[in-house]
Amino acid sequence: MPEPLEIVILGGGTAGWMTAAALASLLPPTGWRVRLVESEEIGIVGVGEATFPEIKYFNDAIGIDEAEMMRATNAGFKLGIEFVDWGFKGSRYIHPFGVHGPAHMEHLFHHQWVRALRAGWKSEIGEFSFAAQAARNCRFQFPETVRRSINSAYTYAYHFDASLYGAFLRCIAARRGAQRTEGKVKHVVQDSETGDIRSLLLESGETVAGDLFIDCSGFRSLLLGDTLGVGWEDWSKWLVCDRAFAVPSERDELSPYTRSTAMEAGWRWRIPLQHRTGNGYVFSSSFISEDQAAGSLIQGLHTKTLAEPRMLKFRSGRRVAAWANNCVAMGLAGGFLEPLESTSIYLVQIAIMQLVPLLPEKRADPRLRDEFNRLMDLQYERIRDFLILHYKLTTRDDSEIWRYCAAMDVPESLTRKIDLFRHDGIIEKYKDGLFTPTSWLSVLIGQGLIPENYSPLADAVSEEELIYQLDKFRENIRDRVDETLPHDRFVDRYCAADSAA
Amino acid sequence: MKRRIERVVVVGADAPAWMAAAAIQGSLGCGLKVRVLELPSRLRPADCYSALPALGGFHGRIGLHEDLLFRVCQALPCAGQRLSGWSGASLSFIQGYDQSPPVSGAALSFTQYWIKGRLRGLRTPFENFSLAAMAARAGRVPVPLEAGEFRAAYGYNVDSGAYSALLKHWATGGGVESKSAAIASVEIEGDRIAALVLADGERVEADLFVDASGPQAVLIGRMPEAEFESWREMLPCDRMMVASARPLRPYPAFSQVSAFREGWVGLLPLQDRTAVVACYDSRETSDKEVLDSLPFLANRPVAGGAAVSNLAKGIRKRTWVGNCVAVGEAAFALEPLDAVQLHIAHNCISQLMSVFPVEAGDFREAELYDEIVRRVAVNLRDFQLAHFKLNRRFDEPFWDRCRDIAVPDTLERKLDVFGARGRVPLYDDETFQEHGWESLFIGHGLIPQSYDPRVEAIPEQELIAKVQDRLQSVRALVEAMPPAEQFIAETAAVRETTSSAHI
Repeated sequence: MPEPLEIVILGGGTAGWMTAAALASLLPPTGWRVRLVESEEIGIVGVGEATFPEIKYFNDAIGIDEAEMMRATNAGFKLGIEFVDWGFKGSRYIHPFGVHGPAHMEHLFHHQWVRALRAGWKSEIGEFSFAAQAARNCRFQFPETVRRSINSAYTYAYHFDASLYGAFLRCIAARRGAQRTEGKVKHVVQDSETGDIRSLLLESGETVAGDLFIDCSGFRSLLLGDTLGVGWEDWSKWLVCDRAFAVPSERDELSPYTRSTAMEAGWRWRIPLQHRTGNGYVFSSSFISEDQAAGSLIQGLHTKTLAEPRMLKFRSGRRVAAWANNCVAMGLAGGFLEPLESTSIYLVQIAIMQLVPLLPEKRADPRLRDEFNRLMDLQYERIRDFLILHYKLTTRDDSEIWRYCAAMDVPESLTRKIDLFRHDGIIEKYKDGLFTPTSWLSVLIGQGLIPENYSPLADAVSEEELIYQLDKFRENIRDRVDETLPHDRFVDRYCAADSAA
Repeated sequence: MKRRIERVVVVGADAPAWMAAAAIQGSLGCGLKVRVLELPSRLRPADCYSALPALGGFHGRIGLHEDLLFRVCQALPCAGQRLSGWSGASLSFIQGYDQSPPVSGAALSFTQYWIKGRLRGLRTPFENFSLAAMAARAGRVPVPLEAGEFRAAYGYNVDSGAYSALLKHWATGGGVESKSAAIASVEIEGDRIAALVLADGERVEADLFVDASGPQAVLIGRMPEAEFESWREMLPCDRMMVASARPLRPYPAFSQVSAFREGWVGLLPLQDRTAVVACYDSRETSDKEVLDSLPFLANRPVAGGAAVSNLAKGIRKRTWVGNCVAVGEAAFALEPLDAVQLHIAHNCISQLMSVFPVEAGDFREAELYDEIVRRVAVNLRDFQLAHFKLNRRFDEPFWDRCRDIAVPDTLERKLDVFGARGRVPLYDDETFQEHGWESLFIGHGLIPQSYDPRVEAIPEQELIAKVQDRLQSVRALVEAMPPAEQFIAETAAVRETTSSAHI
């Protein structure tokens, strides 16, 4: 039997415990040892209380029972994100986790919709999405499994308390053999020749040696950034927000969507949980003072605060390599993209799911490292472009930040996407990347960009016939939504948390 | 709304030209006119198109029922490609057209189990676990099954002349105009074609010109910044010979591709004959030598009518310039291997349909089309290049040189990551998915050095059971498939009872 591979995870935040739970669950019982080093003195950021539907794959893969997890984390379901005041003041759209129009003709639907619009038949594209309409009406049900039925082509995510989710995973990790070591890192010991990390020397004097180190130390990036000196690629000229205030308030309506409202110097979130509502204001310190931002956040609340606002500082960007030497960064240690589309937990999850199949053996293999980095680069860059889209595509000119964003140069990959869509409604596809054409469509149109032309393929039926079909489809969705349970009742039945009952 | 594209002129011959015309007319026919200027055919009587399963989807989109292929194109269904002699000795392997069902998240594929088995001494070849490969071996057709863990599909071998005639009939029946023509000159203004002048003096204008003229590239070849970028250094065969041999009975369900000293020879089974195609390097051998040895290489007598041609491989620097878009081999050309020939045409045409210009005179879709086509081309080129790069025929100058070919980064990464861990980095716009690349690499002897660590979580006994189960399932599924003769008869019978064919 060969020596087991020693995997050391540094940091016990959401990223750290997700990694520990996943490795402890997915890897075979022998051949590996997973050890997590954390210090109770170091606070955690607790990234993201809102998630993306891919989280379900992660939970399923490590064998988490959905209802149990939801009970333990005060969770609710999430069918999309509502964007208020983004494209222009008074605008409101939902980016749903599902298609617009009939599922089997997804690529053509929006062209048909534009055609009807141009012919004078007015409608909102969201009226053609079951997920968007269910969200709007605070309804929820699991997707139908019958293909082609109107309420089948969507997925869902969760709103949950990220620190409780972390604690939930911590139990799983511990149960499945991950070891936890309390302590603060005093010194990182490197191989003098290769620079590989050999061990962590803790303040207690204990030495934690390992073959592979997973840096979940948060923004500090203690191993990948500080120790190995992997550079930072800054994206803050496109994603200008650099601060956030977060504050919980008493529970109000348990809506099955996240709300993001564009503000005078950034945007605020509203995330409904069973026991409280999470709120926050993501802003740019170049455009507003911290005090003003905190004041603005409090002023906009509908219910009483449950704690003092807490401030976080960050920069958008990523480490130029997520894996260097024998160290892989997960979560904030590897990069940061603001939580506008609830991608923080997704980025941890995808990193874990890419790492597991490529996990090195005792001897490092640069081929595996390079492939991991290639895949992660694609994920980061494509999410980055999608986030920038929200800022760039605005006609707001009521405050400095929006004037700046509307005028800024964006990555060329994004410029072309916007131009093509504006001209002919074409949405480029890619293989690796979270956001599908469906998502791009929601945001492009939601921000107010209606294509000037539509594909000639949408001319196949007569105008009357097309409008008749669209109208009927819209009606079907309305009927289905009416038959769907209210979200809060669904949650009560399925996964009511003890504390929230 | 500005003016739509109203007039489309397709210039070319044979299947690609008619495929383009039929697709455009069929999808957009209510708003525009498609006219084909038909150049003299480049086909020889012995030519045969080998097509991937995706061609079936294309037929579906233009409304062409596949039984016509079996009735009038001498077609046979084909479950894969069998390669012999590429790895020296007499080793053969089949690349079957398996279709892996979409896996959610990061599910573990069977390939990872096989790799562990192999590293621990499992002797059963990879192809024994492939539904299409086993169907191919058994001479059976992998008809679609109810959704299950394994899926496979079939492609086709069709007589090129008959298939082109069928598509011409189909396109013109659908409203496409055509005229036999010779291009006297092309009037180009800036990056636009103002008009084509035909030999009979007619001046032809159009909103969009589609170049489907094959490697001659009669339109795109004259456009600015659309020079031909050769891939000769990566795909070294530069001559191609076609001929015919007697038909094989019972019908085989695969194409046979055998390597020889200076190239490879393919046997493509049709109903009434076997098409023989040889591709080789003129630096190593002559047409005469190949012709003389063809019966030996094909392992059967070869009928008269062998024809030879040059084989250029590469891509246009731009595949869409101004109002001129290239499809098929006018855009990029590869070896007539891996059944990619027609795929190049219908893939380009499908891409064109998905980014079809919305406005006459404005062609900003060109850049996107060009990028997608280039990615498709590079991925396919890498697939073919891997056959040559991974050969193990030693002490033969042609093959020794092939092993030394400097491979581009795109393929290097695939070889590296597969060699290390048995995973295939797939890029945007891949024709072949995981299984295609896995069977290519493993078939040529590239065995991964390690496997997904999650495999170790499965107890040895369970793993053995999984392997045996899979073998049994594949065997049972193959036994239920029809032999090619039966499949063709049934297809025709179904068609006769359900509709009145109009051909």
